Formats: sequence, C-alpha cells, structure tokens
Amino acid sequence: MAMVATSARDTGKSRAARNWRPDRSTVISMLSVAVFFILWQLAPEMGWVNGRFTSQPTQVLVAAIDVILNDDFFYHARISLAEFSLGFALALVVSIPLGVLLGTSRTARHLIDPPLMALYVAPTLVLLPILVVSLGIGMASKVAIVFLNALFPIVVNTIAGMSEADPQLIRAARSFGASKLDVFVRILLPGSLPSILTGIRLAVGRGVMGVVVGELFVSQAGIGYQLNTYGSAMRIDRLLVYALVVSVFGYLLTVSVRALENRVSTWRPE
Amino acid sequence: MAEIEIRNLGIDYRKPNSDEVFAAVDDISLSIAAGEFVSIVGSSGCGKSTLLLSVAGLVKIARGTITIGGRPVSGPGPDRAVVFQDASLLPWRTVLGNVRFGLEMQRWTGGDLTERAMSMIKLVGLARFADYHPHQLSGGMRQRVNIARALAVDPQVLLMDEPFGALDAQTREIMGGELLRIWEGDKKTALFVTHDIDEAIFLSDKVVVMGRNPGHIKEVIAIDLPRPRTQEILDTPQFTEYRRRLRAHLAADMAGMHFMEEAA
Repeated sequence: MAMVATSARDTGKSRAARNWRPDRSTVISMLSVAVFFILWQLAPEMGWVNGRFTSQPTQVLVAAIDVILNDDFFYHARISLAEFSLGFALALVVSIPLGVLLGTSRTARHLIDPPLMALYVAPTLVLLPILVVSLGIGMASKVAIVFLNALFPIVVNTIAGMSEADPQLIRAARSFGASKLDVFVRILLPGSLPSILTGIRLAVGRGVMGVVVGELFVSQAGIGYQLNTYGSAMRIDRLLVYALVVSVFGYLLTVSVRALENRVSTWRPE
Repeated sequence: MAEIEIRNLGIDYRKPNSDEVFAAVDDISLSIAAGEFVSIVGSSGCGKSTLLLSVAGLVKIARGTITIGGRPVSGPGPDRAVVFQDASLLPWRTVLGNVRFGLEMQRWTGGDLTERAMSMIKLVGLARFADYHPHQLSGGMRQRVNIARALAVDPQVLLMDEPFGALDAQTREIMGGELLRIWEGDKKTALFVTHDIDEAIFLSDKVVVMGRNPGHIKEVIAIDLPRPRTQEILDTPQFTEYRRRLRAHLAADMAGMHFMEEAA
C-alpha cells in the first residue's frame, strides 16, 4: 500500500512540474499576504492607525534600498552573522557529543539530567547580564548567548534520538558480532540523525533570537544594535528592514535544515 | 557427532528493580546433530526463546554448557546466525543494505559483499525489491529479508526465533514451504522456535516440547516423515498422529498451569 502511495505521489509531482497550477492552500496563503500588504498600506492613509508607528510597505521598500546603499548594512550584518555562526558552530561541536554521552550512558544521564533540564526550561536569556559582565559588550558575549541558546535543543533531541534506539536492532546487530562501536556507528547514529536534525532546526530559531536580543541588550554594532538605534529614533521603516532581514535569515536556514531532515527521514514510515 | 551439545543448561533472570532471581530455564540437555532441523514448541513463558538466544550467545548462561562443534559458546559468533521474530531490519537501509549488514558486521572476506547479498536476495525471491526500504514491504517479505540476512553470512547453525509468528496463517504456510526449499539446498543445522504445532512437525527432524516453571524439556519427538516434504503431508495419518501427541503434551502443560493459578 505504501508503495502505491509513493508512486502516485511521484507522478503527481512530475505532472505539477510540467504544468504548474498552484493548489488551494498556496492561493489562500498568497492571498492573505497580499491582503495584509494592502491593509498595511491603506491603514495610515485612511487614518485607522498612526503611520508614525506602523510605517507603510512602500516606505519600507524605499528604506530597504537606502539601508543597503548608505547604512553600512553589510558591516552590521557581517558582525551579527559572525556572532551567530561562531556560537552555533560551538553549540554543534559541544551538544552532539554531549547528547550522545547522555543518551547512551545511564549514569551520565542521572548525573547531568536535572541541571540540564533546569537550564533547558529556564530562558537562557536571563544569563545575559552575567555574560556581559564577564565577557564584555563585544562579540564574545553574543557568541556565548547564541551558544547557550542553541545548545539545549540539540542536546535534548540527541538524547531522545539515542535513547529511542530500537533494542531489537541492537540485539540483531550483536547477533552478527557487532562491536560497541559498530552499534554506535551503524544503529544509534543513523537512527537518531532525524532527531538530531530536528534539534538543530529548533536551535536555529533560538540562536537567531540569542544574537538579536544580545545585541539589543548591549552592543556596539550588529543588526540588533541597528534595531535599537532606529527604534529609539522612531525610524520604523528602517527598523522593519532590519527585522525583515533577521526573519528571512532565520526562515531560510530553518527551511534548509528541514529539507535535510526530510531527506534523511525518507525511511520513516508515514 | 553432535553439532550443538547443550548440557544441564540453566539461565537466570533477575526481576526488574529487585534482587529476586528466578530460573527461566533449568537443567536442559539436548543434542542436535549436524544438518538436523529441530523445532522447539511450548506455551508462552516456557523459555523456548531464551533457550534459542542462549545458543546464539545473546543470553548469559548461569549453569551448564553449550558447545557448538566442540567449542563452548561464550557470545555471538560467525558460526551462527539468528532470524528474529520481528523483522529487526534497519529501517533506513534498503533490502540490499540490510542483507549486507550481517556481512559487514562479520567483516566478510569471501568475495564481493553486494554480489553475495544479491544472490541471497534472489534465493528468497526478492530480486525485484532489492532497492525497497523495509516499510515498503509486507510482513512476509520482511521476514524473507531477515532470512536472507542470516543465510548471507553462511553460518553452520541457523537459529530462528518464531520467525513467522507475526504473519497470517496463509503467508505462514507459504514461508514454511519456502524455508524448507532453501534448507534442503545445503542442510544447515537449524533450531526453530514456534508455538505452531503443525509448523514444527512440517519442518523438523525432531520436535522438542518444553514445559514451564522453570522452563524444562518434557519430551523430544523424532519426526519420521520422508523428505522433501510438501503441504500434502499435513493430511497423512502419520502427521495427524504426531499432531495428536504434541497437542496432548501442550494441553497437559496448559492444564497444569490453570491448576497452579487456582492454587495460588
């Protein structure tokens, strides 16, 4: 039955590629976006809202061109991107081995689980003042907050992936003389890859939030710094340009991780 | 000479979250000759799977010994392969990848892995499905893969733990016939756990009947039916007689069980 379903979906896809017609849900989504922009444009003109606070799509578009040409946009974007990448890379390097250790060793889990869960549940952002005091107002404190924010979703999902491994598969592997390393590389790792990627996807959002909030809190440069500047100056159009950049960045990264997730999850029964 | 020699075997289980230990099977002795097909039957909880897994080297032996070809069993080895009840196939690997799996784990050196795996897949009749993933296959097909994976490593002893237990009656019958066809090919020593009496008689040279509390051997019945066997054999008087004897044994075991439950 599953085979039939798969082939039906495949032919459906290829037909759609030849003769593209948007389906109902796409039309509705696009329509809602269009209505939103029209209302946003009209509302200040009609006097429904104060345009000083809401700006308008056309103003934001003009501001976007202005920001990219004359606002050191790339300088600030590069700083934020560097903070994010560094913090995120560090989180990956630490969280996956940590999750593997906690997911495979009962003793380690009993030892570290309570403090880990406490940190996972508490918003890491409360640590921000401490990080700034100890690491300064430069990049280091933002790297640290991205690291902390991104760490826990990956750790928790790696643990889940490791401990959900099917004991029957491990037994079957052992019956063929698999070593502990074999079991890890051939059973645990591929089996938990979808979970790990889910953790990474959740971590993207939290990491992006970390870098922006960190910069908003205190900084000398970066997207969050610019958001703060234009917020206090009531330049809503420019503020929205930067906000849009952040959300597009987060969105694209999340979508790519999800695509990867779907690729490695094809074996999962639907 | 006996291929598998089990002497006074005892296996203990510790109850979860307690220090209470009880014997899953006790004082089991059994000889299986090379090339013999032996089935183990018994009601659930009689330790028949435990016995099989101990021969596989997957369960710790508390008392007694198991030797295979004279060598004592202390863990899994390349001389044995197990077909488990549930498919226990790696869901992210294709049929080919799964059949290769055992070969990879045993660091197979007898030629090209893929070639070897493919020939086994052909043997179980799944050549067209080599690129499919387990979730795209039926239960019967998954068990064919499971059997191919075990045969691929060319074990001396094939251990099967209720391999057709989850299949419907019809598929089960077909798989039994297929298994015999494959087994007739090179007559590996086979140990087969089942709770299906007909299946046990149909496949075996010997049927071991086990009882419970603790698991022990009640009787070993030699099945003297000509080979190769086909489904027609199920209707012969000899077959019916074997079935009657085995039923009586199992019924006695069940009756004893009820009696004990009432007493408790």
